[in-house]
Amino acid sequence: MTTLTSSQAISLLVLLFPAAGALLLAGRGWRLPRTFTVIVGPLAVWAAFICSVNLFLNKVNADFTYWTWIKSGAFEVPFNLLVDNLSIFMCLVITGVGGLIVTYSVGYMSHEDDPSYARFFTYMDVFIFSMLLLVLAGNFVFLIVGWAMVGLSSYLLIGFWYQRHSAVVAARKAFVMNVIGDIGMILGAFVLFVSYHATTYSGVFAGITGANGCDSSHLCVFVPANRDSSMLELAAFLLLVGAVAKSAQLPLHAWLPDAMEGPTPVSALIHAATMVTAGVYLIGRMHPIYDVAVYAHAAVAIIGAVTALFAATIAIVQTDIKRVLAYSTMSQIGYMFLAVGIGAYSAGFFHLLSHAFFKALLFMAAGNVIHSMHDEQDMRKYGGLWRQMRPTSISFLVGSLSLVGVIPFVGFFSKEQILGSAFSKPDDGLALAVWGVGFVTALVTGLYTGRMWWLAFAGTPSPQRPVEHPHEAPPVMLIPVGILAVLATVGGLIQTRALGFGPSQVSDFLASAVGKVGWEGGSSEVVVTFVTMVLAAALFLAARRMRPWSAALPWAQRLLEHKYYFDEIYAAVFVRPLDATAGLLLRDVEKPVIDGAVIETGALATAGAGGLSLTQSGYFRNYVLVFVGGALLAAAVVLVRANS
Amino acid sequence: MSGLDIGGSQLDASWFLILGGILFTLGAVGVLVRRNPLVILISIELMLNAVNLTLVTFARQLQNIEGQLFALMVMTVAAAEAVVGLAILVDIFRVRDLEDVDDLSELKG
Repeated sequence: MTTLTSSQAISLLVLLFPAAGALLLAGRGWRLPRTFTVIVGPLAVWAAFICSVNLFLNKVNADFTYWTWIKSGAFEVPFNLLVDNLSIFMCLVITGVGGLIVTYSVGYMSHEDDPSYARFFTYMDVFIFSMLLLVLAGNFVFLIVGWAMVGLSSYLLIGFWYQRHSAVVAARKAFVMNVIGDIGMILGAFVLFVSYHATTYSGVFAGITGANGCDSSHLCVFVPANRDSSMLELAAFLLLVGAVAKSAQLPLHAWLPDAMEGPTPVSALIHAATMVTAGVYLIGRMHPIYDVAVYAHAAVAIIGAVTALFAATIAIVQTDIKRVLAYSTMSQIGYMFLAVGIGAYSAGFFHLLSHAFFKALLFMAAGNVIHSMHDEQDMRKYGGLWRQMRPTSISFLVGSLSLVGVIPFVGFFSKEQILGSAFSKPDDGLALAVWGVGFVTALVTGLYTGRMWWLAFAGTPSPQRPVEHPHEAPPVMLIPVGILAVLATVGGLIQTRALGFGPSQVSDFLASAVGKVGWEGGSSEVVVTFVTMVLAAALFLAARRMRPWSAALPWAQRLLEHKYYFDEIYAAVFVRPLDATAGLLLRDVEKPVIDGAVIETGALATAGAGGLSLTQSGYFRNYVLVFVGGALLAAAVVLVRANS
Repeated sequence: MSGLDIGGSQLDASWFLILGGILFTLGAVGVLVRRNPLVILISIELMLNAVNLTLVTFARQLQNIEGQLFALMVMTVAAAEAVVGLAILVDIFRVRDLEDVDDLSELKG
């Protein structure tokens, strides 16, 4: 093996630190003092962060192949990591925000006993490793492995409190829906392999752009001779199934609200900042495919826009603070899908970054509140926290304003860039349509965020509040929240394209990986941007006077409280028929046929043995008689043969 | 089949074989029908000696020493077998009065 360059080694180390942390904690963590867990868990993530920063500063941009992992005929999988600006960007988000959240968990999970405490950090490190593998993968096999492993870590962390039945059910639901996505992804990778005879990204993308080595392979008989884009459309739609499941977009969204059963840092890390954005990453990474597969690309934008509005409306009536944030996350990821769906990739990734800041901030601030309220999550039972938990309240307000998209918070710049890009995309009716949906969603976002803020933090304490004088969170929880609050406040200044001038650091950085947004906004875009912001902010303020709609619009209230009846529909269409079929098979096939065959075979053996055991009389003379009889028979046979 | 020279007089070999057959059958029937363990052992010895007689007869007739050697071998083994068999019997007699081998059926499941 040739020697590694330092960049190659550091790229590997990004993966190895969290893996080593997870192994150390899994092996010995729970037997050692808690200090060991407290040090190893977060340190593994921060070490990966430092390595990522090093890659960033050294401007690494390469496809490192370490060795050939699998080789079987035409099927060849190298062990390669694609370290370009997009994966470095994702690594920085994952390890940076992830490091803050894991550090925060040191305080949040402090009530757990030692084995659970170590288990939690083991799972977190496993998750960070899997997510980094997902974004650093240079071929589809690694991508699928990372993709499935983040689903597994998500399952383990949602079901972290496995004594709770609801947590176990939620974990299973998330896993099943993620597996549906995994299957889509795997089939998509198969289609690409069959079409382009490559497992690496570079190989597939080279095939799409024309110069492919496919013609010499017998596997290419499946490719239409005129090389039209139908196979690409198929692959793009299959990959989209994976992206939709992982990012909780319609129609595979139902697992995310239930995933809030997990501990709050998990919700912040996996179900807000990183894992659920993997779908956006996937579509950005596969942009050479989606640029050609126009129908699948349009589907991305439509799914994103519909999910954004759909989830935002549900968030209006939710009472559990974490569920509001979960629906808000779905809605914001819908924005990202919308952005990448219309080809404004860097806008989508900027919103991914900004959402990681403010949504992790919101979740962690909500975690502080939940922690102090003895795990009460119903916002109606809070009230008046502004006076008693000032630092947390300020952080939550920063996150909320960022979510609503108020200048100068980071959410303003990222969300408005998405909406602006959609608004000003020339000659594209679809982009204008999704802009309309996104515009309405922005207003609804103002409404539900305002409702959440006024209900939980403003006003007077609710009489049902479980704790009269809540304690502010300890420093280990407040400092990460504070850092994110600062980032959510000033982070937008790295890219102010929404204003029509100023720096565009994120777009410039990602241009080499996903290309620039191919069109410029005019002055009308800036006007629309400010109108959106002002209306959303006005709704944020107006939400103070908001009352439940049950009087005015009872049917709407009911529709939203039942989340558009998706769970009921899925139960009626999939769950109950499956249960019924399984019950039928159990009664009519399993028991009579399969069990019957097994039981009858056993009974036959028992009966046969019973019959044979009659020959074992235990009397010496019987055995001798048989022996002599046998000898006589043998002698008779010999005699007859000799004489014949 | 030519006769055998025994002490100057000739005797047809078939007589020896018939005697061996009768002795063997007597032994076998003894083993089968008698219940007394000592008698069974004696019957086994009878069978062994019937075989010895046959072996020696053929050795003499075929002028081949190997048959006689084999008879000596059988005697040695028979002695060893008698020792082991009698030792077991003596041990059983120490524990209880044994008149019928059918009483020894405890090992049947």
